[in-house]
Amino acid sequence: MIPWEGLAIKTIFVQGPVPGFRLILVVLISAALIAADARFDKLTSVRSILSTGLAPVYWLGNAPYRFSDWVEGLFVSRGDLEEQNEELKTRLLILERRSLKYAALAAENNELRRLLNSSEAVDDRVVISEVVGVSPDPFSHELIINKGESNGIQSGQAVLDAEGLMGQVIQTSQFTSRVLLVSDSSHAVPVEVVRNGLRYVLLGNGESNELDLVHVPDTADIREGDMLVSSGLGGRFPRGYPVAEVSDITKESGEPFVTIKATPEARLNQSRLVLVVFPQQEPSEAIPDEAIPETEEVD
Amino acid sequence: MLSVISYPLFAVSVVLALVLSISLFPVGWFEFRPEWLGLMVFYWTFRAPAQFGVLLAWCFGLLLDILESTALGVNAVAMALIAFLVLAIHQRLRMYPLPQQCMVVFLILGTSQMLVHFLKQLLGADSPGFAYLWPALTSAIAWPFVSALLDNLNRKLG
Repeated sequence: MIPWEGLAIKTIFVQGPVPGFRLILVVLISAALIAADARFDKLTSVRSILSTGLAPVYWLGNAPYRFSDWVEGLFVSRGDLEEQNEELKTRLLILERRSLKYAALAAENNELRRLLNSSEAVDDRVVISEVVGVSPDPFSHELIINKGESNGIQSGQAVLDAEGLMGQVIQTSQFTSRVLLVSDSSHAVPVEVVRNGLRYVLLGNGESNELDLVHVPDTADIREGDMLVSSGLGGRFPRGYPVAEVSDITKESGEPFVTIKATPEARLNQSRLVLVVFPQQEPSEAIPDEAIPETEEVD
Repeated sequence: MLSVISYPLFAVSVVLALVLSISLFPVGWFEFRPEWLGLMVFYWTFRAPAQFGVLLAWCFGLLLDILESTALGVNAVAMALIAFLVLAIHQRLRMYPLPQQCMVVFLILGTSQMLVHFLKQLLGADSPGFAYLWPALTSAIAWPFVSALLDNLNRKLG
């Protein structure tokens, strides 16, 4: 960095070119980058490439959890494993019975839809993925998952956990993707009330256990405990996944809308395994025989 | 200024700072997480001002931008600012006792956080109040431990 480094004089007070000059240089470059990235969206590919290069960082960030899982696995007794195995088998049986019934219903539903010339088909293809990181910025609710472009994931896909809708993919790199959670203050989901089909928009407000249902008129038939499911309007989220449950309704006289809080169904900051939903195929492809082609790739 | 510095240690500490800034953290404590990368930039520019400076800090900030998925350049310019401020005062900083150094860490990291949040709000983020200064405070508290640890390792490995 300093050309005369080889000389015997100790260069305590020398810093090469003036740092102020460099600062101005990087400020200018940064301004150009910020403008290109935030205003014109020109840098998506650069970001994707650099993000792929940072895959080891994501991997290392998740390493302590892998390690603790591994250690836990070392100290499990045979009896415990057998017990767990038994329990899982029972559960599998119950779920299989349910899915049999569901497959029949899905087939019937698809048939009816076909008769109605409706393009929508029941059943979605999903990929199972693991959460490997969270956004370092405490004011944005984002996760990083370990499936990326190489698994066919594209931005815009919905992400679920076992309980409900978690959010959507907003950025992809080769091996990881970034998921914006429904609780982020820039996120909105079109929902409907299961009980009567009323359609509203559910906004995140930056709290991980609270969402806002907005623009609900005073007279709307909505109660505490109502389940809100994704309505599929807007084409981004598949229809019918549970999103939140209405937890609190405050009516204020004089206000045109009621204030409604809802609790998200998905365990937004606990789930470590998530499902990424692929957009639906053409209806003719969704034959009930291959109704549940889940590609299960748990690591 | 250390007489010797260890480049492998430098690389490892920066990678570790990046990992720590994304690895899972107790949920309730999230906003108190120290600004690890800022702390590393501070340490290395302070200890070896001839080798590490504004440009390198800027590159690391760019990596943090990728990890944080902020607009490219936001954290980069903040890291460059940290390096610049440290370069400007590193000769005085060396004379300060440890508590005073912690104060300076708080001030410089706080300034860079302010810049980050100013830029984010220009780009349309919500205003979080002054909560964004917590990382600067926890970083200042972490500074004596981090610098002592890295100094020791530098002496052993360098």
